[in-house]
Amino acid sequence: MVKILTPKKLVLKIIICLAVLAVVMCLCAMTGRIRPAEGPRKISLEKVFAGPGQEPGENIDYEIFVGVRLPRVILAALVGAALACAGVVLQAILRNPLADPYILGISSGAGLGVIAAVLSGVTWSFWAGSPMAVFAFTGASLTVWLVWYIGRFTGKSQITSLLLAGVVVNAFFSAVIMFLTSIANSEQLRSTIYWLMGNITEKDWLVLWVSTCCILGGIIGLFSLCHKLNVLTFGEDDAKALGVKTSKTRVAAFGFAAFITAIAVSLSGLIGFVGLIVPHGVRLVFGPDHRQLLPLSAIIGSIFLVIADTLARTIVAPAQLPVGVITAIAGGPFFLVLLAKYSRKVSWLK
Amino acid sequence: MNGIIKIENLSFGYTPEETILKALSFEVMQGEFVGIAGPNGAGKTTLLNLLCGLLTPKAGSIEIDAAPVESYSVRDLAQKVAVVRQEFVPVFDFTVREMVSMARTPYLGTFGFESKADREFVNDALEITDTARFASRPLAQLSGGERQRVFIARALAQNTDVLLLDEPTNFLDLKYQVGIYDLLKTAQLEKGKTIVAITHDINLTIQYADHVLLLGGNSGYQYGYAKDVFSLERIEKVFGVRAFAGKVGGEKFFLPLGKFAKDSRQITGKSAGGQQE
Repeated sequence: MVKILTPKKLVLKIIICLAVLAVVMCLCAMTGRIRPAEGPRKISLEKVFAGPGQEPGENIDYEIFVGVRLPRVILAALVGAALACAGVVLQAILRNPLADPYILGISSGAGLGVIAAVLSGVTWSFWAGSPMAVFAFTGASLTVWLVWYIGRFTGKSQITSLLLAGVVVNAFFSAVIMFLTSIANSEQLRSTIYWLMGNITEKDWLVLWVSTCCILGGIIGLFSLCHKLNVLTFGEDDAKALGVKTSKTRVAAFGFAAFITAIAVSLSGLIGFVGLIVPHGVRLVFGPDHRQLLPLSAIIGSIFLVIADTLARTIVAPAQLPVGVITAIAGGPFFLVLLAKYSRKVSWLK
Repeated sequence: MNGIIKIENLSFGYTPEETILKALSFEVMQGEFVGIAGPNGAGKTTLLNLLCGLLTPKAGSIEIDAAPVESYSVRDLAQKVAVVRQEFVPVFDFTVREMVSMARTPYLGTFGFESKADREFVNDALEITDTARFASRPLAQLSGGERQRVFIARALAQNTDVLLLDEPTNFLDLKYQVGIYDLLKTAQLEKGKTIVAITHDINLTIQYADHVLLLGGNSGYQYGYAKDVFSLERIEKVFGVRAFAGKVGGEKFFLPLGKFAKDSRQITGKSAGGQQE
């Protein structure tokens, strides 16, 4: 049996994964408490399909499902897709299987942008977003380049040198964020800190639509680069010999990756390890071809974060955990296992 | 036969003061096998990087297929010239077939999926290099020699006129060394490829190459037939070692003699046509 990736097979796999995603989203939207006092009860789909009813409050199931749960589940799916894709792209371009927007400090770069926006009190806004997204994008892009240059500078043959660079960048930005939050007034402080831990909350539909368009746009942009990313994992000289304009591709890929990371961070704060766990899982099952890895990672990333968020809001209900806590608890040990695995296998040219 | 690679008065150095290559001129005909030899630091890999457009000459010109290298876009040049560097284990576990398929990158459209014709080129390359039998295995599971064949398969699937190779037999044992050279010679004779290979093995170069370029630090360069370029005096001078020259079946061979080498008179040719000079 010869396994060859054709567009037809890819579309089929994407459709199957999307179907799974739809089912997971639906189930997760139904799970949880309706009123704290009543204890856990599932929303019945029948009631939801019955429609909103004549007066507000008549069909509570519908109102909670459409007004509260669905936006939240969609948000989790969006953020999961964005972070997983950013992870795929960073791993390809940095040629480092341990890259992840959170680990390399790109998320905190974006987070710093957001905090700067909040604290500076800039109020102009064009679409549903705010200066937050723009500041986040600026922060994320700058960090991507910073990490890339440091990684180049500190030596190309060491898989861990880039990670160290990321750790340092991360620590530095975290310190700046701490500083900024500690001079902020107390009300801003509490919500910012909660947001920093990676928190998915209910957003209104307009924000969701705009973010969906942005993130999907970014992912499609990245998808058009995927065959070049394949070649780039063999190094810059090899990629050029195979007709890829390496610097142009890198700028585009970093740009798109920073863009979707920034949107994800401005929506939900710093959620770690999604970009690490998901691409690795997908690669293990489907192979490293980026034309397949990227779209499937997007969908599996959505599924992963939707489930993680459902856990975050049900485990200690009626209280809620930040979802970043769940992903970090899952991702930390996973990262260490990978680090041990790849440190042994450093046979790697240029 | 026309010249596919034409180098005129080429000079290059990494800094303004330094000159690694100086006033180099030679022409490679379509379908020729050219070996590039010379000591470390003589500029062999630099020349290869100039030929594939990674570096730009300080002076002089390089023409490929009657057009200057710098006039090609990256993509167009990749349809003319394929490069094989020393094999290595890639970061991600691509299979042999996936790896060879990447050769088609310079021919793909926006979203980058191979057509049926692309897949034919890939299958051909896998056949001719005898790598088809492990096409679905990851590169990390192959031996160095097998992996080098995969890198050559990729270069062949790129369907270019010119194949550049940087020490393709480095670190390989004798059997694989000869195997790689046989494979290259087959590609030359059957597919009409022009092959330019950097090599440290003078004796294999003499066997396989039509022409040889000997780059040698201060003593300039020599371009011509292997039998003319390689002489005992020149090898001793360029490489700075004492050497022994012999003949097997009419072809020259050379052995380097170190400080502790036995007297060269004690080395006798074993082969039927062997004789001492």
